[in-house]
Amino acid sequence: MEAYLLNLGVLISLYAILAVTLNFIMGYAGIYSLAHAVFFGTGAYAGASVALNFSASIFVMVPTAMLCAAALSLLLALPALRVRGEYFVAASLGLQVLAVTVFAEWKAVTGGIGGLIGIPPVDIAGFEIYSPGSFFILSLVTLAAVVAITRLLVRSSFGRSLKAIRDSESAALAFGKNIALIKTTSVVISAALAAIAGSLYAAYMSFINVESFMLDTSVLIMAMVIIGGTGTQLGPIVGAALLLILPGALSYLSFLPQTEIGSIQQILYGLGMAVLMIFRPGGIVGRGRAETGEGEA
Amino acid sequence: MTMNGARNAGETLLEIRHLEKRFGGVKAVADVTMDLRAGIVTTLVGPNGAGKTTLFNLITGHLPRSGGSVRWLGRDIGGLKPYQIARLGIARTFQDLRLFSEMTVEENILTVMEPNALPFRLSGPPLKERRARAGHVLERTGLADKRAVRAMDLAYAERKFLSLARIMATDARLWLLDEPASGLDPHSYELFLALLREEVSAGVTVCIIEHNLDIVIGISDRIAFLDHGRLLADDDPKTVLEDPALAAIYFGDRS
Ligand SMILES: Nc1ncnc2c1ncn2[C@@H]1O[C@H](COP(=O)(O)OP(=O)(O)OP(=O)(O)O)[C@@H](O)[C@H]1O
Ligand SMILES: [Mg+2]
Repeated sequence: MEAYLLNLGVLISLYAILAVTLNFIMGYAGIYSLAHAVFFGTGAYAGASVALNFSASIFVMVPTAMLCAAALSLLLALPALRVRGEYFVAASLGLQVLAVTVFAEWKAVTGGIGGLIGIPPVDIAGFEIYSPGSFFILSLVTLAAVVAITRLLVRSSFGRSLKAIRDSESAALAFGKNIALIKTTSVVISAALAAIAGSLYAAYMSFINVESFMLDTSVLIMAMVIIGGTGTQLGPIVGAALLLILPGALSYLSFLPQTEIGSIQQILYGLGMAVLMIFRPGGIVGRGRAETGEGEA
Repeated sequence: MTMNGARNAGETLLEIRHLEKRFGGVKAVADVTMDLRAGIVTTLVGPNGAGKTTLFNLITGHLPRSGGSVRWLGRDIGGLKPYQIARLGIARTFQDLRLFSEMTVEENILTVMEPNALPFRLSGPPLKERRARAGHVLERTGLADKRAVRAMDLAYAERKFLSLARIMATDARLWLLDEPASGLDPHSYELFLALLREEVSAGVTVCIIEHNLDIVIGISDRIAFLDHGRLLADDDPKTVLEDPALAAIYFGDRS
């Protein structure tokens, strides 16, 4: 039981990092990305490769993972953000589909469908972190750091620029904001921070393959943000916890036919999301706002 | 001092030459040639749909022009992006305000002083100074006790003043104001005029779109009259206002 809870705690922390970093662009810059699992995966593969071939030190693994994801996100953001925001969703979906193929086929780096196995545990200054308890603490601390960084950014002049662009692009332009550059920067930061979760995930699981980084993961992360509350500090964490606890909790309800648990889960998700969006469009943590700002002409 | 009359025009800030904008078959702006000179308050008048807002959008780069040129201090700014034009010192308000509606009043002001694209400060004054300046602007526009309120929660007149406060916080030399006084009650309207007068005497050059003739008479050094995209007059207020042909167009269209 304790192992089960610790494992759940680790996964919630790592997914919360993903949700918090996606919320950073969704909630504050109004950029909707369906490619967040790609940066999660890039972080995981890059971190795993470094750990397998070079060093499992967290100070090598994590920065490499961040750099790789940041570079990849630039490839998405540079062309996609020159045009209007709506196209970003489509472009990110394209990247997601493309990346799954690459993850599955690029055997030399990703191990192909079989994935990478025997990834060593992460090493912090000579201490290997492999017990679930210590890894849980590591992932919690990392989550706290990511939350602190995004919070700092959101409250800085950079965060104000993001919110200004979200509220009115034309007014932001009229006050000298280089929208494409600001949005690109936010996407790069978001991707780099998501890659931290990826590299820790690889070290924690010691095995990764493409199945963890497919479109359904991107959708799951987005659902975590929306259900928890887009543009709130706590929402993405609540959303991540809820969506990861729910499957386990359902399997404890013995009156449910256990063979159908998967479909029941999907039905509950769908219903829950629809009901939530009707009654609390701002998410669980968000304020239920009926009014919206004046639209763009 | 009044804004009318006796001041000498300074250098030409903006030179508009044969500017044109077509929307499909409609010429929203047709062959407009005019200068905006430092220190001069130019009022842009004309019936609804005359092309006034479109002219602003062409100057600020929010719309691509179909023909003609715009020069800022002698330099062609036609190919620049709106944010680049803004950084040259041309600020504007919007007819529909376009406040940063989910941000607080203070954030609305702070952010216009922060055009940086990076998550750290490369240039410009430190936050403490920006805060102080924002506080000063909010004080002057009567919004000081609303600084923590979201823009969308403000009353109508307060929103208009926030729109003005936003450009007061910039260092722009030229202000393009799109109907900033429309719908203001008499008290707000007096405050607005007083603020505008202060800014003009502090060196800001203003081009303002306005329908209310009392306001037009009260503030203009020059009146430019636009109709169906054409500039029918660009002269001192007396000449324009006393032209019976223009009055016929203006009042005819509005009835
Ligand atoms: N983006 C656009 N696309 C198509 N037509 C447009 C666009 N913007 C303006 N127009 C048209 O151009 C003409 C001029 O519009 P504009 O908004 O510049 O008028 P205006 O003088 O500001 O009027 P008002 O006093 O009502 O604000 C109108 O016929 C309008 O319908
Ligand atoms: Mg207009």
